[in-house]
Amino acid sequence: MPMLQPSKKNGFLGGGDGRVLDLDTAVKDGVLGGVGAGGLGTGVVEKLDLNKMIEELNLSEVPSVFICPISLEPMTDPVTLCTGQTYEKSNILKWLGMGHYTCPTTMQELWDDMLTPNKTLYQLICTWFSQQYVQMKKRSEDAQGRTSELLTILKKVKGQARIQTLKELHQLVDNHSTARTAVVDEGGVTVLTSLLGPFTSYAVGSEVIAILVNLTLCSDSKANLMQPSKVSSVIDVLNEGSIDAKLNCVRLIEILMDDKGFRAESLSSHSLLVALMRLIRDKRHPNGHLPGLALLKSVSIHNELQSLILNIGAAPQLVELIPFLNPECIELTLFTLDALSSTSQGKQALKDCPKTIPTMVKLLMRISEICTGHALSILLSVCKLAPEECSLVAVEAGLAAKLLLVIQSGCRQILKQQAAELLKLCSLNYSDTMFISKCKLTRTIQ
Amino acid sequence: MGSVCCSQQHGRADSDEIEQTAEIEDRIERESKAEEHIQKLLLLGSSDSGKSTIFKQIKLLFQNGFDDAELKSYIPVIHANIYQTIKILFDGSKELSQSFSDSSRFHVSDENKEIGERLSEIGSRLEFPYLTPEIVEEIETLWQDNAIQETLSCSNKLQVPHCAHYYIENLQRLSNPGYVPTKEDVLYARVRTTGVVEIQFSPVRENKRSGEVYRLFDVGGQRNEKRKWIHLFEGVTAVIFCAAINEYDQTLLENETNHLMETKELFEWVLKQPCFEKTSFMLFLNKFDLFEEKVLKVPLNVCDWFKDYQPASSGKQEIEHAYEFVKKKFEELYFRSTSPDCVDRVFKIYRTNALDQKLVKKTFKLVHETLRRRNLFEAGLL
Repeated sequence: MPMLQPSKKNGFLGGGDGRVLDLDTAVKDGVLGGVGAGGLGTGVVEKLDLNKMIEELNLSEVPSVFICPISLEPMTDPVTLCTGQTYEKSNILKWLGMGHYTCPTTMQELWDDMLTPNKTLYQLICTWFSQQYVQMKKRSEDAQGRTSELLTILKKVKGQARIQTLKELHQLVDNHSTARTAVVDEGGVTVLTSLLGPFTSYAVGSEVIAILVNLTLCSDSKANLMQPSKVSSVIDVLNEGSIDAKLNCVRLIEILMDDKGFRAESLSSHSLLVALMRLIRDKRHPNGHLPGLALLKSVSIHNELQSLILNIGAAPQLVELIPFLNPECIELTLFTLDALSSTSQGKQALKDCPKTIPTMVKLLMRISEICTGHALSILLSVCKLAPEECSLVAVEAGLAAKLLLVIQSGCRQILKQQAAELLKLCSLNYSDTMFISKCKLTRTIQ
Repeated sequence: MGSVCCSQQHGRADSDEIEQTAEIEDRIERESKAEEHIQKLLLLGSSDSGKSTIFKQIKLLFQNGFDDAELKSYIPVIHANIYQTIKILFDGSKELSQSFSDSSRFHVSDENKEIGERLSEIGSRLEFPYLTPEIVEEIETLWQDNAIQETLSCSNKLQVPHCAHYYIENLQRLSNPGYVPTKEDVLYARVRTTGVVEIQFSPVRENKRSGEVYRLFDVGGQRNEKRKWIHLFEGVTAVIFCAAINEYDQTLLENETNHLMETKELFEWVLKQPCFEKTSFMLFLNKFDLFEEKVLKVPLNVCDWFKDYQPASSGKQEIEHAYEFVKKKFEELYFRSTSPDCVDRVFKIYRTNALDQKLVKKTFKLVHETLRRRNLFEAGLL
């Protein structure tokens, strides 16, 4: 798109040679220093609803003179105070209504409370936004046309040309909603899906996935993508890709799982889980932790996939990761571990990891009620497996005091019951006095 | 005075020596630096898994292929293959006629019997006569015999090489006096690999050299003492393990174990070797075309490893379903045999048909891409 350079003149409507420019021309040439005021000014400016345009355009670079100093939003009804400053009418009314009798920007006391509508500014704002709107519409249509072209090309080319086409399509889809709808409407999803298979190169695969995540996929398309060879391609990119490509894969898999027809066995792949764990443990790219853990949580709900997660030794890895995660991530991790602890294999794996009990004890009443709930559940599962051994470790880690905290807190009833159960389990191995001393409390317990 | 002279002479000799040593060490250093940039690939797999065919394909694709002399050198092998095939079939027919109750199927007609005995005798020699038109005619007559065709259909019990059909069809051409084997003929040729063969090549990408140099090693596939020398391949960039998936119903020569179970054991063994802890593994599920044909006729569950297989549909979908099942089994096996700290090594599965040059080229391109990305990743650039 050819972009006119914003004019370097300083905001005079008239320029250096004294001509009086009409509004359209002034705005067209970017005299006001607007964003890419392109060469369109045909003079036909649609009197569209200003509010609607502002919202739809959602531009980040609006000329500063159009912005209300109070709300920092474009003004739709500018009024001027006696000090000469202009504000959005509703905002300044609120300010005055709060009892302030000053001009918000100059801090001067007002000698006159009259609000003069600034019609000139209003005209400028309307015209400018209309121009931008017309341009955007044109670009969108262009995008739509170009998208159709690209899809046709995509069906024919191979090799480097294919990669280039995909890259351009990716750009369009990223920036224009019209491109997105165009792809879906013109059967682009099928074309893109057909590019995924056992012989897909990384370059092609990562671009296709990047495009697909932007689109709204119908149930049929999702089912099509769940074919084993295509899922394998996605898993490959998840394993080997750049962090952005990996995030796209996670997003795509989530989209696919969010379908009525989803069957967990289509994802029963060790490679997928290994790739997820790698993403979760990647210290170089912490922005991958949350999405990775979220997907792992969704996966761990399905019984068929739980044993796979355990097979790759994920449980101890997750436990050891917890101290380094932020609260949101910890909650997801605990959910996953809790789900895993419902199986005997999971219980065993958690018990075998020496850090499980101390970590869980530390987390009780630390972050949130949900986390406490999960930690309790995990502790119960593990301790029930080998009561003597585990309760020893747990009590040494300060479990008793924490459990008392839970019981006395405002947590849900079920948590208190679980805490009581666990307390009883642990105290079975100690005499009363020993136990009390372990609690490091002065109060007696029942 | 004398001693001074002597010591001076010694001094000169010494400095010469020192210079030479320095030069040699310099050369050694340069060469080992160059060696480091060469990525080594090791072809492993049980016998008859298609390793050597892959090897030949790489030679054809990325080196100058086979020149005339090399092509001609395969003629004795091809002829030997033909004699061996017909011998196996004839002897096989005799065996089967004894073990099957419905033995009349395998009874070679009397006229052909004589031909059969003669060809069988030739086939058991160490050196074979060149194919003459008379012999060709005899072979063709015997081939047409019903018994032989019946035997062919039971080929899973015998070791009928895959090239059988191909060579018999082209018999006329192969027996011509001025015959020079085509690339395809060479690819079908079966000869047991002994020792280690290697080639060095650079993958050519769309008409320009990409700079990486690979060295591919093919070791023989027999059940010899691998554990004694496998550690010499430590530091190899990748192991290309070939598994012929159509062999799930075939039994081995040496004993009665199932081919695929043998492959499974070998794969497990290789995965557990400490020398391959950091090596990437590329699993080629080979002979896919034969697998496609077989899986619709012979159910997968005849192989112990696949006994929990449930056919889900039919036709093309069934083939895909069966293939996915086999792939999953291999994946499971891989992760079971991999300790948690090795889980980060690259592991990818490819479906191949070693005789199809285009496919091998595509597959190798993907392998190359994966290895390149791995290198970038390890260098911290990804």
